[in-house]
Amino acid sequence: MIIDSHTHVDRFGWYDPPETILRLMDEAGIDQSIIMTYGDAPDVEGSIEYIAEAVQKYPERLIGYARINPARGGEAHRLFRKAMEEYGLMGLKLHPVGSLCHPADPETLDMIRLASRYRAPVLFHCGDEELTLPLQVAQAAEACPEATIILGHMGGYFHWRDAIRAGQRYPNVFLDTSAIPYPQAIEEAVKHLGSRRVLYASDGPGCDPSIEIHKVRMAGLTAEDEAAVFHRNIQAILDRVSVAGEE
Amino acid sequence: MIVDAHVHLGSSLFGYGQSADEILSKMDRLGIEGAVLVPVKPRDYHLGPMNELVADCVAQHSDRFMGLCRVDPWQREAAVEEVHRGFVELGACGLYVDPWEENFQANDDLVSPLVEEARNHERPVVINAGHVRVSHPMQIWDLARRFPEVQFVACNGGQINICGILLSETRRMLEACANVVIETAGTYREDFLEEIVTEVGEERVFFASGSPVYDQEFEMARVQLAHLNDSQKGKIWGLNSQAVFGKLASIG
Repeated sequence: MIIDSHTHVDRFGWYDPPETILRLMDEAGIDQSIIMTYGDAPDVEGSIEYIAEAVQKYPERLIGYARINPARGGEAHRLFRKAMEEYGLMGLKLHPVGSLCHPADPETLDMIRLASRYRAPVLFHCGDEELTLPLQVAQAAEACPEATIILGHMGGYFHWRDAIRAGQRYPNVFLDTSAIPYPQAIEEAVKHLGSRRVLYASDGPGCDPSIEIHKVRMAGLTAEDEAAVFHRNIQAILDRVSVAGEE
Repeated sequence: MIVDAHVHLGSSLFGYGQSADEILSKMDRLGIEGAVLVPVKPRDYHLGPMNELVADCVAQHSDRFMGLCRVDPWQREAAVEEVHRGFVELGACGLYVDPWEENFQANDDLVSPLVEEARNHERPVVINAGHVRVSHPMQIWDLARRFPEVQFVACNGGQINICGILLSETRRMLEACANVVIETAGTYREDFLEEIVTEVGEERVFFASGSPVYDQEFEMARVQLAHLNDSQKGKIWGLNSQAVFGKLASIG
């Protein structure tokens, strides 16, 4: 069983219809993938609906996150509620390079708190760019201890050690393995945080899910730890989500 | 024939390193027949002895290794002299400059005399590319357009950005500069490599691991699992890099 915690579909810019990631999932033997757009709602009109349609079309294979620009305030909140309650999406994606919102800005924290009311995970793009650094995202994790914060790409090429530090400081921080080129970083993350805090993810279809699986297998984890990383952890996170309405 | 066109030799100031025996052992295990050795920056900061170490290893294993000469442009005239020594006395197959570790901008005027020396000897120039502020694609582009007769090799697929915002710029750089090729090591997004091969040119990409900074076995997977045909993969595995650096003694 493999669940890919971080993949993309979109109609604009980088054109990746759902069938692209599905083809790569089949090649890699992946059961389900979490999908999100490359652009923010509501700045990119219809982007949440595009995710919802893909999930509706392939409900056994695809799980949706809503990527939203927190700076859009009430409109952003309305869209997220709609995504969760009407479309059955399961999480929030934040990309500070796109929104220019710092992870610890009030608008971002408000958005995270809204997601937390659904127990929905919040996946940050977390790389080497300003506004996305692990120690910056960690400020959001500190401010919102009730939130499930996922560091997508676990800090990128140069900041994966900071991602592990953030995980050591804040128990609500999880790391996703996508796109970083270092199998040993995954091994180190499991060693320092435990396998429960690490999630397999590919960043597909741009990054090939098969290669990303190979990377995790190269980390030399036990079978138990691999199962946690490949599906149990994200499944446990998703099982907690309440899509029926705010609590 | 698999050639790893970027393998670091020596113990680096920055904490990574490997010996020639370790390199050969890994190559044998992974089925890599040849490698281009790149000197590390050692703890004493002196690159000259590292160039000699590379040359010695190439002399001992000329059927497996070729080697680059590395200099620090901030050494100015001494760097130019070292490039000359590297090509004439040490038999280096190319010049390696590292804007990230030596802290200069790839298109700085400091670099020009070194490129001119490479041009005089018809040797390629390998640049540790993709590093923000010192070797991003526009800086490689600026340098390459000033020396159109010199072959440049951009490491890391020309861009290191896990956000992907430099992918299109790197492609434009490659389209504009026929004298630039990219290494596969550490590249963000395999579909970028596939796009460059199929839409820009099959000769514009070659396999390099950047080992041990990157994991040699994992870097091979980028080519093994690429959605490319056997002919294209053959070029990436070794034909393209041999066209740039020359052939190993074992191939003739």
